[in-house]
Amino acid sequence: MAANATPDFRTRLQTWLPKLVLSPSLAMVLVFVYGFIGFTVYVSFTNSRILPFVGPDGQPTHDLIGFTNYAKLFSLSHWEISLTNMAIFAGLYIVICTLIGLILAILLDQKIRGEGFLRPLYLYPMALSFIVTGTAWKWFLDPGIGLENIMQTWGWESFSFDWIKNRDFAIYTIVLAAVWQTSGFVMAMFLAGLRGIDNEILKAAQMDGASNWNLYRRIIIPQLRPAFLSAFVILAHLAIKTFDLVIAMTGGGPGRATELPATFMYSYTFSRNQMGIGASSAVIMLMTIAAIMIPYLYAELREKK
Amino acid sequence: MGFLNIDNVTKSYGSVEVLHRVDIAVEEGEFLVLVGPSGCGKSTLLNMIAGLEDITTGEISIKGQVMNGVHPSKRNIAMVFQSYALYPNMTVGQNITFGLEMHGVAKPERDKAMADVARLLQIEQLLDRKPGQLSGGQRQRVAMGRALVRDPDVFLFDEPLSNLDAKLRVDMRTEIKKLHQKLGTTIVYVTHDQIEAMTLSTRIAVMNGGYVQQLGTPKEIYDTPANIFVASFMGSPSMNLIPATIVDKDGAAHAEITDASGNAKHLRFSGGGLSGQDGRGIILGVRPESITDMEGADRKSTNIETITNTVGVTEPAGSDTFVTSQMSGRECIARMRADAEVRPGATIEFAVNMDKALVFDPQTEERVV
Amino acid sequence: MAVATQDTAIRTGRFARALIYLVLLLFVLFYMLPLYVMLVNSVKPLSEITGGGMMALPQVWTLEPWAKAWSTAQIGVQPTGLRPYFWNSISMVVPAVAISTVLGALNGYVLTKWRFRGDTILFGLMLFACFIPFQIVLIPMAAVLGFLGLSGSTAGLVLVHVVYGVGFSTLYFRNYYAVFPTELVRAAQIDGAGFFQIFWRILVPSSGPIAVVCIIWQFTNIWNDFLFGASFASGDGAPMTVALNNLVQSSTGVKEYNVHFAGAILAALPTLLVYIVAGRYFVRGLMAGSVKG
Repeated sequence: MAANATPDFRTRLQTWLPKLVLSPSLAMVLVFVYGFIGFTVYVSFTNSRILPFVGPDGQPTHDLIGFTNYAKLFSLSHWEISLTNMAIFAGLYIVICTLIGLILAILLDQKIRGEGFLRPLYLYPMALSFIVTGTAWKWFLDPGIGLENIMQTWGWESFSFDWIKNRDFAIYTIVLAAVWQTSGFVMAMFLAGLRGIDNEILKAAQMDGASNWNLYRRIIIPQLRPAFLSAFVILAHLAIKTFDLVIAMTGGGPGRATELPATFMYSYTFSRNQMGIGASSAVIMLMTIAAIMIPYLYAELREKK
Repeated sequence: MGFLNIDNVTKSYGSVEVLHRVDIAVEEGEFLVLVGPSGCGKSTLLNMIAGLEDITTGEISIKGQVMNGVHPSKRNIAMVFQSYALYPNMTVGQNITFGLEMHGVAKPERDKAMADVARLLQIEQLLDRKPGQLSGGQRQRVAMGRALVRDPDVFLFDEPLSNLDAKLRVDMRTEIKKLHQKLGTTIVYVTHDQIEAMTLSTRIAVMNGGYVQQLGTPKEIYDTPANIFVASFMGSPSMNLIPATIVDKDGAAHAEITDASGNAKHLRFSGGGLSGQDGRGIILGVRPESITDMEGADRKSTNIETITNTVGVTEPAGSDTFVTSQMSGRECIARMRADAEVRPGATIEFAVNMDKALVFDPQTEERVV
Repeated sequence: MAVATQDTAIRTGRFARALIYLVLLLFVLFYMLPLYVMLVNSVKPLSEITGGGMMALPQVWTLEPWAKAWSTAQIGVQPTGLRPYFWNSISMVVPAVAISTVLGALNGYVLTKWRFRGDTILFGLMLFACFIPFQIVLIPMAAVLGFLGLSGSTAGLVLVHVVYGVGFSTLYFRNYYAVFPTELVRAAQIDGAGFFQIFWRILVPSSGPIAVVCIIWQFTNIWNDFLFGASFASGDGAPMTVALNNLVQSSTGVKEYNVHFAGAILAALPTLLVYIVAGRYFVRGLMAGSVKG
């Protein structure tokens, strides 16, 4: 092996190899993530409408227009609806998922017979595509053949449930499906937190005369802080990224009743040829997620050091 | 120039120097123990000898060859780790011969070397097992086997016994010592256990805060520690360090201390090294075995001083009884015979062997006499 | 009263326990509902569904909807069924999972056993990439795929999924190797093993569990992806999720709900199967992606 020719070559190679091995992934991430983020930010400051960016004559097909896209974006009622929907959706989704997850975890932590059987049943939706589950919910909630129709067939003639077709209520059906999909996962996070609590502390608290209610309120739930934080961060970022579920269930409709920033960006970029505006909405989404994720990741990585 | 030469070596992480100018020359066949509390730099030094950490400045050489920048596998060293670091997915046999395989040694030779080492360490029946199936002592043997099979110039041991229980630790200690006597190899051994250091080594380097505090034979280190740190770190229970004042009386230097009731007591120094320093404040260092009851006092001593004092606590330890008492406001431990009849609160005579007493300067903490 | 020696400190009465079981079972019904709806309606004729029998068991059992969804249903303009798209997904997911897992293992190895100044920052950069809203990269990615001639191709999707999957696989292996004893690596170094030998001979043989976790996670994520598939491969090269959506959303002709449900189950089958066989590892991966360590 040529490596033995100079006594130090192997040592030097060994010190370079690790960085060499890491570099393809790093380059990929730098270009495809951070480079692309930069590029999208750039596009958001131009009047680009469609690809390509360079015309056949070699001249760019766009001009820099500063913050015009952002100004336009926030004047669009379409975007305003998306943001309002996001607030409703994210708020309900996070709160309900956390509540259901916590309750299920606490109940499952009572030495339940068949816990090993129940847990996978609560968690399996996480393994399914949103398109699949969206399809199921779409037809189950459809007034023509789904729940409303079923109830009426069963004899409850006046039963009416048309939320998925109703502009005022459609967003709540998205919440329902999303909660169904992720609440089991939140349960698993809380359960892991509960199992991590020292049982001796609980015994000590009982010796002190704490009731079950007080045990949970004063001792156990406060110790689940890290699990609450993780659940919040994960749910918030999932909420902002929600896209497939809306496409599968309502396609953003009826009208624009279930548009979210993710679907807004997609339709402005690919269907409406308003790429500059699409890019600016993507930048807003990224900044929102970054505001949540960066402090969280920073704290996690610092802790590990 | 030693067989293993550590020449003016320092180690820094960024701007923080963690190891300061270490100079040690290890002769062939020596058993050098690096001992000190955790964080003293002993493991860093060992890793630098092994090539696992870079040398910031200075030079390490083995057999006259400078090792700076040389890959660990090319230094002809072997190392036994604290956790033994046995490869969990390989059998004992594969563990032992992995290094030979990596160095391109042919299979028949590897097998022969493995058989020899296995016989030497009596682990022949374990060769096909996985490390997970071995007891602590067996893992320890395999780890040593892996080191021995390479026939290295220098063996490095990184706290190899600290994961064993007390009984096994003593057995393995004896075994390592036997092995060293039989094979005559050069060993550098890191431990925080001063008893291991005393029993195993031919020389000890006591380290603290990144400095080698003292380098010497076990006897030198124990009898004439260079400073208060070495004095109190080596020996168990550790040396009594009693604040005292030198007083000239009857033409000889005495140490003035106070007993439990605050009365001054005078202990005459052996030898004349301290005369003419009347009134100087010192720290008097006396090992527990040099404070006894009268019957237990060393008959060879030229100078047994007695002091009447009140007994604090007695701790029967089986072979001895440790007796505490207040001297100059400090808790002092005396080592008495197991059957010495001493009761807490009683006032008895303590015999202090002043031939073995040491004197330290309270400011520099260096030994004066 | 509970037995004094009970392991947990929490004690509950008989009535409370009955209530707990009741609530837990109600949630089982809730979670099983969509799956039940899909399964039961995929094996009944369309008329039974439109007639208000969505919750009922089939009066006439039929596999017709499955056959139709698989091979003859209209997807876009072609009556090909989901079959070609299923294979699209397979040929996308296998190389993407393999490449991102191998890269993740190597990255995790370097980031824990060959640490260097700034490695935590680099890892942070890779980790953050897992959580970005992918809308932020859609436009330049479309441009780059077009430039490389990979638009609409499986190879293009493989590239995309490797790029955005490597952060998570690195996270898994890094956390796993972080608790792998470094002394083993040092011992192997002294034994003369090089960078790749140490990886291959010492770390890889012990990496079974985390490799399973990583493969399952990547498989599930990439199989279930819709955004990238819809953005970069909407035609013949579309993955299963996009084809299913086209099937369900198609506005022409009669809505064949039973075929939609059969198609949905076909699209769910691979990940569902993995979940049933190795759910434990899936959950572990899920947790590692949220509460680390």
